[in-house]
Amino acid sequence: MNTIFPVIAILFFPSGLFILASGLVYEFVDRKLVARYQNRIGPRWFQPLADLFKLLAKEEFIPKGVQPGLFVALPVAALAGALTAALYVPILGLRPAYSFSGDLIVTLYLLSMMTLCIGLAGANTMDRFSVVGATRALTQLFSYEAPFLLALLGPAIMAGSWQISTINTYAQGRLWMIVTQPIGFVVAIVGLMGKLELPPFDSPEAETEIVAGALTEYSGRGLGLFHIGRDVELVIGLTLVAAFYLGGLANPLDFLIKTLVLLLITAGLQSLFARLRIDQTVGLWWRIGAMLALAQLLVLIILRGLRL
Amino acid sequence: MNPQHPPEKFILPIGPQHPALKEPGHFEFTIDGEIVKDATVRLGYVHRGIEKGTEARNYNQDLYLLERICGICSHVHATAFALGVEKLAGVTVPPRAQAIRTLVAELERVHSHLLWLGVCAHEGGFDTLFMYSWRDRETVMDILEGLTGNRVNYSANIMGGVKVDVDDKTADTIRHGIDYLEGRTHHYMKVVTTDETFLGRTRDIGTMTYEQAIRLDAVGPTARASGVRADVRVDAPYAGYPDFPVDLITETAGDLAARFVVRINELFVSYQLIRTILDKLPPGEISVRIPRRIPEGETISRVEAPRGELFYFIRSNGTDKPDRVKVRTPSLCNWASVMELAVGHKLADMPMILAGIDPCFSCNDRLIRVNRRGDSQLWSWEDLRRYGIEQYK
Repeated sequence: MNTIFPVIAILFFPSGLFILASGLVYEFVDRKLVARYQNRIGPRWFQPLADLFKLLAKEEFIPKGVQPGLFVALPVAALAGALTAALYVPILGLRPAYSFSGDLIVTLYLLSMMTLCIGLAGANTMDRFSVVGATRALTQLFSYEAPFLLALLGPAIMAGSWQISTINTYAQGRLWMIVTQPIGFVVAIVGLMGKLELPPFDSPEAETEIVAGALTEYSGRGLGLFHIGRDVELVIGLTLVAAFYLGGLANPLDFLIKTLVLLLITAGLQSLFARLRIDQTVGLWWRIGAMLALAQLLVLIILRGLRL
Repeated sequence: MNPQHPPEKFILPIGPQHPALKEPGHFEFTIDGEIVKDATVRLGYVHRGIEKGTEARNYNQDLYLLERICGICSHVHATAFALGVEKLAGVTVPPRAQAIRTLVAELERVHSHLLWLGVCAHEGGFDTLFMYSWRDRETVMDILEGLTGNRVNYSANIMGGVKVDVDDKTADTIRHGIDYLEGRTHHYMKVVTTDETFLGRTRDIGTMTYEQAIRLDAVGPTARASGVRADVRVDAPYAGYPDFPVDLITETAGDLAARFVVRINELFVSYQLIRTILDKLPPGEISVRIPRRIPEGETISRVEAPRGELFYFIRSNGTDKPDRVKVRTPSLCNWASVMELAVGHKLADMPMILAGIDPCFSCNDRLIRVNRRGDSQLWSWEDLRRYGIEQYK
């Protein structure tokens, strides 16, 4: 029992195959929703899977001038980081596979590995589009990371714990924190979009300027792994925000409804705005996002201090 | 390492193959971080030798060849050529034909401006506006198909008139489509003037002052957005425009936002003009006979394409083939403004500044003579002619 459980947790549920499959499903829902908002038909249900298989089957081309080991290892590291993060969040509303005090911070760092890997991947190649893309990806990392963290700290302070499962349990049965901390919710959901480089925060991969940004030189397996890694991050990010702000995740049905509603909101935001320039993104986060999140945090701390 | 070594430039190449470009062109932006320090353009990837090709075909064939210079403003090329040749031949085209020419030209302007609205929004990463404006553009494409039988190269012109007539049923279809488009265009006007994220990408970006517009010889909506009062339809009315005058639309800001406003306001002018033409279509014939051999002479013909002034020079030598046809397309006049405005802006603004002039690459590719071993750059007409014959033998 002691040896079989970790194997299941890593290979099948909640990490491993299950999270990969749900990543593809959520990518499909996201693409379909954006397409419908834009008055398009959108992809068929198996399109993300077909894309993944196609990429995995293709030749992986290693361009001149890169450090080959790094070039091959970075997509794997990015996906591994995202999959590991899945072990600490209440996927399907069930208890996380592993849990310890402070796992919230660890999860957030694991999620940031993706952006770091993308930045390194871009800096590793000689391609000029990649270098610009990598600069932008890392600039964006520095801008959204702090507000996103602050936004997730609000619920953590209310629950008095740094443990995701404790916060999840705390959130259930209380007034939803989207009502008590609306600013935190907005900052968290927009921060998640910045993390995933979704429009309008997609300047690190703005196709009309720098082709595919940091991943321009990637093809085949590497590109496929980066894509599936981002899908996994999408699921984990939605789970975190839903667990913290939408009254916790108690069961699979709860999980599905709440994360899909969040996806509906992010898809709407994706189709509403023109792409922000990287300087506009940084300005938005530091001038508005971080300040709002800080103000809310201060209020929370003072309120808690008064009550205690 | 060497302190005397000049600082290396970081040059970002865009094109000839790039997702931002729908047609091949090559741009090199020297950037410092995100700021563009220098910009150069190199065209000529799709030079097709059409000007030369006209000399080997007769006037009727040339009409269809010249229509293929541009896939978006095809009708206006044929109109410019037909007007010039008719002037040389000394024939008077019936007013009904001129009105129908104008009608198709305005429908084409509607389709071109809606297309540009989508492309420019896409360059700025606003795909929703792109999808919606192109969906609505289908309405005017359907109208053009119903009127002329073709969606792109309409072939509405023939020498001495037009070959399509407008009956009551077609007129009603057009009116219906235009009513729908007008409603949608009001919505787009609201979007581009009030959406904050979109204005963040267009307001005070690529600002061209009135003086710059004059000095750089900008034409069309690009110049009109900087307050230049120039529109061939108003300054030198041709075809049906003397009978159906249009309003001149200008803005003073000169930035990308102003170009959006100018083009969308021109859409309203076009809608109004289309309605007027349909209501007051003069009766009569739609074409006259024109001699096969055009008398010797030369002429110029100027029309207002959706992108600006289109200029044709036609010289005939008394045969059924032109001696020389020279085309100057509006995009060619606007390139200089892009290269000057690009400097000092951010890299992220480049696609929108590029798209802001509504560039059309294929129509402005000309013969490029690369100066090898310092031989003379000055060519006489005979040299050019010989080169052309050698090149296309």
